[in-house]
Amino acid sequence: MHYLARRTAVAAVTLLTVATLIFLLLHLVPGDPAEVLLSSGGMAPSHESVQALRLELGLDRPLGAQYASYLGRILQGNLGTSFQDHASISAEIAQRLPRTLELILASTALSLLVGVPAGLLAALRRGGFWDGLFASLASLGLSMPAFVTGTLLILLFSQTLKLVPAGGYVGFWESPGQHLIYLLMPAVSIAVGLIPVVFRMVRTSVLEFLEREWVRTARAKGLGERRVLTLHVLRNALSPVVTVIGLHLGTLLGGTVLVEYVFNWPGLSGMLVQAVEQRDYPAVQGIVLVICILFVLINLGVDVIYGLLDPRVRTR
Amino acid sequence: MAKHVTQNLALAFLAGIVLLAILAPVLPLPDPIAMDVMNRHGSPSFAHLLGADEFGRDTLSRIAFGARASLAVAFIAAVLAGVAGVALGLVGGYFGGWPEILAMRPLDVILSFPPMLLALLTVALIGPGTETLTVLLAVLFVPTYARVAFGETLSVRHHEYVEAARALGHTAPRILFRTILSNVAGPILVQFSLVVAACILLESGLSFLGLGVTPPESSWGLMIRGARPYMYQAPMQLLWPCLALVLTVYSVNRVCDMLRDRFDPKAAVLWFPAPRKTARAASPAAVPAMGKMLDVRGLVTEIATPRGVIRALDGVSFSVRPGETVALVGESGSGKSMTGLSIMQLLPRRVGRIAGGEILYAREGAERSGASAAAAVDLARIPAARMRAHRGQEIGMVFQEPMACLNPVYTVGFQLTEALRAHGRMTKAEARARAEEELRRVGIPDPARRLNDYPHQLSGGMRQRVAIAIALCGRPRLLIADEPTTALDVTVQAQILVLLDDIRKMQGIGLVFITHNLGVVAEIADRVVVMYCGQVVEDGPVEDIFYRPLHPYTRGLIASVPQDGGSADKSRQLFSIPGTVPNPLDLPPGCRFAPRCPEAIAACTKAPPAMEAAGAGHQVRCIRWREI
Ligand code: SF4
Repeated sequence: MHYLARRTAVAAVTLLTVATLIFLLLHLVPGDPAEVLLSSGGMAPSHESVQALRLELGLDRPLGAQYASYLGRILQGNLGTSFQDHASISAEIAQRLPRTLELILASTALSLLVGVPAGLLAALRRGGFWDGLFASLASLGLSMPAFVTGTLLILLFSQTLKLVPAGGYVGFWESPGQHLIYLLMPAVSIAVGLIPVVFRMVRTSVLEFLEREWVRTARAKGLGERRVLTLHVLRNALSPVVTVIGLHLGTLLGGTVLVEYVFNWPGLSGMLVQAVEQRDYPAVQGIVLVICILFVLINLGVDVIYGLLDPRVRTR
Repeated sequence: MAKHVTQNLALAFLAGIVLLAILAPVLPLPDPIAMDVMNRHGSPSFAHLLGADEFGRDTLSRIAFGARASLAVAFIAAVLAGVAGVALGLVGGYFGGWPEILAMRPLDVILSFPPMLLALLTVALIGPGTETLTVLLAVLFVPTYARVAFGETLSVRHHEYVEAARALGHTAPRILFRTILSNVAGPILVQFSLVVAACILLESGLSFLGLGVTPPESSWGLMIRGARPYMYQAPMQLLWPCLALVLTVYSVNRVCDMLRDRFDPKAAVLWFPAPRKTARAASPAAVPAMGKMLDVRGLVTEIATPRGVIRALDGVSFSVRPGETVALVGESGSGKSMTGLSIMQLLPRRVGRIAGGEILYAREGAERSGASAAAAVDLARIPAARMRAHRGQEIGMVFQEPMACLNPVYTVGFQLTEALRAHGRMTKAEARARAEEELRRVGIPDPARRLNDYPHQLSGGMRQRVAIAIALCGRPRLLIADEPTTALDVTVQAQILVLLDDIRKMQGIGLVFITHNLGVVAEIADRVVVMYCGQVVEDGPVEDIFYRPLHPYTRGLIASVPQDGGSADKSRQLFSIPGTVPNPLDLPPGCRFAPRCPEAIAACTKAPPAMEAAGAGHQVRCIRWREI
């Protein structure tokens, strides 16, 4: 309980910091914020439009008051309205968020499914054929940006072999099978970069835990090799793997942005890229904030899982 | 070997790409932004070696100029971030206190953002562009360097050379930038290559979204973006920039691995081949001597280390009778623990292996496990599956660190019932009842409740009792205890010793007691085997060893036992023998103890002394045992 409370407190502080930074960023850029937002390609915006924007964003009020109303707004779940169509940003995000989450979840599951057995096998046959093969594949995978993987997958499976659609989306309830087909390639593209991370971590930590004294104790008491490996090595080796996935989440979310763009996946990131292209700052702000909250919450989740995996952490 | 080939290829490729990027403006390449609508997606020709893109621009030229853009952005950003990050980390790590908080705290804020998002946020704010991108990437990677520099600085801050520089009156900046920086350069260089790779990836990603390098400038990300809509008509236009990007990042990563190998002291070990392929031929006379339950003969155990194969055990021989306590004594590195692990076939897989000798074990209790009554087995040769049947039921083992010898994520009950059920069929309830009984036997109060405890909830002494209960629950005839009391405090030590001795007496089991503490040996052992550098140097009854020690090493050990009551605490337990144990990769010729031996003469370094009988059941490995 203690542990969870502390983790939650840390998460809350991080969230406040992130929210504050997102607020401040506009004011940190040299120049008048409204002018900065409106200027493009060295063209100075007209005086009237700058004034109008100031009023709209409340930039004419003192900074403290702006900050207070910004925080108040966020706490109510109101992320403001878009520059583009004055639609509610929160509503749009709420609609798209689950799709991004689904993508992240699918690619993480895929990475674990491939990375854990591969890492285990490589560790047990260290220095052998599989170890070498997997290690080379892993360094190749780490060098493949998700958007390149995605583009190449489309080239191969959609354009050349015509097996799967190049991108798009169907709601799960409309057609579950079709939905999963659309999900497949984006999830694989992200997983290609994440599998090596999982693989390396599993391999390293299995190798490390194999020589732990309790593993010797387990063998010394006459347990079968399979039981020793699954219950006394792999079970313990998973804790560092969970941590590493948490640490890589930042990169993972970045990859999601690109992959959603490549596959026209209507998640948060597609909205984000569009908003950035259109310099729709309130929308960008809102999405980044939501993704950061997600980032922090998933990390909190990782900590909770970590606690479940390791009884020592729970009581500490 | 294959590793070196790919590393060299990676280096060559990287050098090529960097050269191409630097020389792009002076090479005879077509103008990368000159459009030629007639030549849209033109196929490769002499004028356009890789063909042309969707605007008829020369692809090779765009790849070259794209390399220029990508590498310049990545390199400049990595250098800027490096300078700022290293400076912050050095200052924070060296001064601590407020400077540390000021230098390091703000960086955590950057780390709480996914990098791609911070980048997009900034682009939304000030629009895309190459300069923006460079500055942005630099800011993003400041914390990466700062953390590394900070950690390294902390670890060298109190090193002698830093203290020396301080004593010489050097100023802080001079110490920081001359003395410390040169010592943390390795890890920072590794970091540099990592950051370059990450920058290239981010740059290409942003450019791919159209939010990084802006057209008409060239960038690999932009090229992929441009070629994507036409991938079916002109797949090569898509593949070339992809290939350039992936190979470049791959090469940078390989160079990073290379740097890491260079600066990381933990070099790779050359592993032994899988054990199955090196099964050793059966020994001819595989029967222990009369009355012995364990008879180790000429045991040789090899360990692969990063710097070569060492012989951790070099011809170790000793034996154990039923009901007898044999103490294996020696400093760390003498091979006493290796002996225990070799007997149990628990040497680290493919790192340690038995290379010679026999471990003969008489299976008097063969009828209990239902196997045919083979008189004896050679534990050094039986396959792993058969060895498993011996573990726990014939031979049990207790390890040194009570903290580490139980799995932290399972309860005591789980680990004990698991052992019980490995030894015989029983239901969960039966196993639990047996487990309770086993805990009571090793003197644990309130065993029913302890079963639900996790190891970290028990004291060190309790944990060691649990470990003993686990080792004994299969009713083995031989127990190997590897320094079971070393990590415990004195009173608990004494309790555990009494417990082990009681169990031995009650069940008549043989006990191999591994320790570096001669005081403990006097209390418990019947025979003592003194080991030094992987060899037995003296072997005899406990009275002989204590009252008539023959080997100069044994004498040194005995002289260094504190007089006041044997088992003293660890801090006073330092041996007074001068010198240190020699490096196992570079053993002295002749007698291995010669460099530290007060009795050494010239003849001692000529040939390795042999084991000689020096009395009833007393052997010694010293050419001068008669004289001294
Ligand atoms: S052989 Fe010589 S060096 Fe070795 S222990 Fe005996 S006296 Fe000392």
